[in-house]
Amino acid sequence: MRTHCNLYIFVCIIGIFLVLGPLNYAGANDFEQLRKDSVKIKTIQAHFVQKKSMKILSKPLISEGRFYYAAPDSFRWEYFKPLRSIVIAYKNNTKRYIASGEKMVEDKTGGAQAMKIVLNEVAGWMSGKFDQNPSFAATINEGANTRITLTPAEKSMTGMIEKIEITLSKKTATVQSVKITESANNFTQINFDNVEINKAINPSVFQDAQ
Amino acid sequence: MKGIPLLILTIFLFSCQTLPLINAPVSPADEKALTCPSPFLKEKYRLVHTIETRMAGNTQSAIIGVTLADPSTRFISCAIITAEGMVLFEAESGPDTLKVNRALPPFDSADFAKNMIEDIKLIFFAPEGKIQKKGNLSDGTTICRYQEENGDWIDVTNDKSEGTAINRYSSAGILKRRIKFNKTAGNIYQSIELQANEAFNYSLLMTLIEAQPVKNE
Repeated sequence: MRTHCNLYIFVCIIGIFLVLGPLNYAGANDFEQLRKDSVKIKTIQAHFVQKKSMKILSKPLISEGRFYYAAPDSFRWEYFKPLRSIVIAYKNNTKRYIASGEKMVEDKTGGAQAMKIVLNEVAGWMSGKFDQNPSFAATINEGANTRITLTPAEKSMTGMIEKIEITLSKKTATVQSVKITESANNFTQINFDNVEINKAINPSVFQDAQ
Repeated sequence: MKGIPLLILTIFLFSCQTLPLINAPVSPADEKALTCPSPFLKEKYRLVHTIETRMAGNTQSAIIGVTLADPSTRFISCAIITAEGMVLFEAESGPDTLKVNRALPPFDSADFAKNMIEDIKLIFFAPEGKIQKKGNLSDGTTICRYQEENGDWIDVTNDKSEGTAINRYSSAGILKRRIKFNKTAGNIYQSIELQANEAFNYSLLMTLIEAQPVKNE
């Protein structure tokens, strides 16, 4: 249960900050601005490349996929390769699917209840209240790009996630990357590209796993 | 509905499989000519597989498995990662050591690490035990039988059409694991099926993502 909960936090955090990416950061270092700007986001879709680095791997393990979001709470987080899998959240119902042969089948080990708990937390982030989530302490650093750093505030995350860094481009006002550090030698870097904001998404994207 | 009794019968038969009879080569020349199948690593390798878990024929979950295995030292380092990149399990093992660096539920049970390392050894390392018998099964399949120090039996078989397989039996001859290398040409580790005969039988289907020999590491 705890693993599933953290797994979905892991997935959802990535998605949430993609959603929070295209915001107006000009001179803003307060979270109130994020809350205001997040209201403008109706849909987001993007391609991503994930690089998993850890001691046992000589070079990062590369995965590719696509992310979709439609306000207020629909998600599709899909990996095309090397392991095809999809997490879909739609109308309070969250499911994870994995490839089995040519078909996508529901992941039987996923704790639906755990996913629900996580999505309740995510709902808070969706409305830009990510500095109000007791699970993480959030800070913003302004530089060439804006960097938001989240550090777990709860003991339940100890030993699982050390910190999460989200880099936002000031120039294009979109998220560039998310880095999730589990330990010194173990981190996941996700780089986004072709980010499209408020472009219509077919509702079937959030209903059909095939 | 008709399939259910058949499924129960299949599970029952699988759980009752015992050591098959080996027909010894008829002449010393035949015995000398018989080469034991050896699907095992010859050098240190890093292998990355997708692993599909199945119970009663239904897919339960899928993960990514990373194995770093050195047959010369019998050192193994392994990790289980989700598609999302989260490390669920990480451990390393030498001939007499086992160190778990990370284990999140449900991979945190006392026996999980030990059993996983044993399975990896069974797939990638030649048996440590002595060869006890070699010959052919009644269908002509080549077989070599080893006995491990703990009394377990390991049969390594090869059939031209069926490919290579490894069966591990308890000292009493009860089948515990069946490893089937599904690829008869190319990289033998491309597709591996492991069937475990436990309180709850399960199978793992491993599909190779990448394999590379490891030098100076």
